[in-house]
Amino acid sequence: MLITLCVNGTDYQCEVAALEKLSHFLRETLGLTGLKEGCGEGECGACTVLIEDQPVNSCLVLAFQVHGKRITTIEGLENPDGSLSGLQQAFVNHGAIQCGYCTPGMVMSCEGLLRKNPDCSEVEIRHALAGNLCRCTGFVSIVAAVKASTTLTVAAAAAAE
Amino acid sequence: MMGRVQAAAPRTIPEISALVGGFNGRIAYIAGGTDLIIALDHETPPEVIVDISQIADLAGIDVYPTHILIGAATTLAALAEHPVLRDRLPVLTQAAGQVGSVQIRNRATLGGNIASAVPAGDLLPALKCLDARINVLTRAGAGTASEFDDIVTGMGETSLSNGDLITGICIPLARGKTWLSAFAKLGRRTTLSIARLNLAAVADYDRPQNRLRELRVVAGAIGPVPVRLHALERRLRARIVDQSFGEDFLHALTAAVDAAIPGRCSHAYKRRAVVGLGLDLLRGLLGRDFELAAAVSVMP
Repeated sequence: MLITLCVNGTDYQCEVAALEKLSHFLRETLGLTGLKEGCGEGECGACTVLIEDQPVNSCLVLAFQVHGKRITTIEGLENPDGSLSGLQQAFVNHGAIQCGYCTPGMVMSCEGLLRKNPDCSEVEIRHALAGNLCRCTGFVSIVAAVKASTTLTVAAAAAAE
Repeated sequence: MMGRVQAAAPRTIPEISALVGGFNGRIAYIAGGTDLIIALDHETPPEVIVDISQIADLAGIDVYPTHILIGAATTLAALAEHPVLRDRLPVLTQAAGQVGSVQIRNRATLGGNIASAVPAGDLLPALKCLDARINVLTRAGAGTASEFDDIVTGMGETSLSNGDLITGICIPLARGKTWLSAFAKLGRRTTLSIARLNLAAVADYDRPQNRLRELRVVAGAIGPVPVRLHALERRLRARIVDQSFGEDFLHALTAAVDAAIPGRCSHAYKRRAVVGLGLDLLRGLLGRDFELAAAVSVMP
C-alpha cells in the first residue's frame, strides 16, 4: 500500500507491505536506526516514537496505519544547527545515558511528556515513563534530566544566570 | 507470506461495509493493534487487514442525559482523560488508565479490549458492571446492539463472526441517583502488567442514611469471563456502611474467589490478595478505609 507521511519534518511517499511494522519501516526504509526493537511486544519502550506528539510503541503500529500522520523520532529532536535539544543535553548533563540502548525511546517518551505537560512533577514523570525500561540508570538520573527540562526549572536557571 | 495480505484503510463506516460485505476470506480489523499485532506474529495472517483507527465516526465520546456513547476506536488514553467520564464513570476511567503504559494507552482502544476478551482484560469488569451495550456492525452491514454477556462469551472468545465489527459502546446513566463507582487492579508490577485480579463496582449510595441502595460488583481474572458477584451483592445490599460492612465485604470477596477457582494453583494466593484489593476498591468507592485485621484473622 502506498502511504504518505511526514517524518521529522520531511514528507515521504513509500510503498509498505500490509503487515510491516512502523518500527521496521522507520529503521529499514528510512534509515532512522535510533529507535531499537527491544522486545517487539510493547513491553520495553525502546522503540518509542511520537505520532502527532503522542508517544507510542512503534513495534505495535503497522506502517500503513500512519498514512497522513506526523511522526517524530529521536533523530528529529536536534536543533536546526545540529546541536542537541535542551532535553537531550539535560540527559547528557545528568548522566542519564549509560549503555544507551533505552535512550532513544526514553528520550522520546520524555519529549512527549514535556510537550503535553511542560511543568510535570516527579510523580508525573515516573508515571509517564512506566512504559520505558532502563536496566542501567535506575531511572534516577533520567528523572533528574526531565525535571531540569521543565519550563519552570529552565526559566529559574536562566533567571539565576 | 506478508505480500499476500491486503491492507485497506476505509475512511467512513459505509466504506467498511462496501469493502467487507462481499468478501469471504478472513478479515482482521486493526485499531490500536496492541493485542492484534502480537497475535499476528504467531498466527496465520488474515487475507485482508482493515485499519479502522482513522475513521472519525468510530472514535469519540458523546454524553446524553440518559446514556453515554463511546466509539469503539476511542483510545484508552482519551477515555482515561475525559472530564465527564472521570466525574460520572470513574470505574471506566480508572480501568482505562491502568492498562499498560502511556504508549499502549495512546493506541489501545475500548473496542479492541472487548474483542480480545481476555480473562484479565481491565475494561471488561467495568463494562459489565455498568450494564454496557455493545453495538456491532455485521459483515452484511446490519447494526445490532447486544448485552455484554452476549458478546464476551469465553476466554479469548466473542460471539462475533468473521467481518463483524464492534462500532460503539452505550452506557446507560441512572438519573437522579448518586452512583458511585470504582475500579481496582492487582498486577505483578504497578504498571505495564496484566491483572492478576481486578474488581469493578458501582453503587447507588444513600448518603444521608449511609446505606447502599444498590450494589454491583464484578471480578476479573477469576474465570474465563468477568464474574458478577451476586452472593456478595445480596449480602451487602441495603446495609449501613460501617466497619462490619467492610469486614463482610472482604469475607464475601474471599468466598467469591473460593467459589470461582477452587483447585487452581493461583487459588491460595488470590483468595488472600483479593482482600487487599477489596480494601482498595472500597476506598475508591466510598472514600473511606476499613480495618483489615479483623477480616484477615479469620482466614486459614
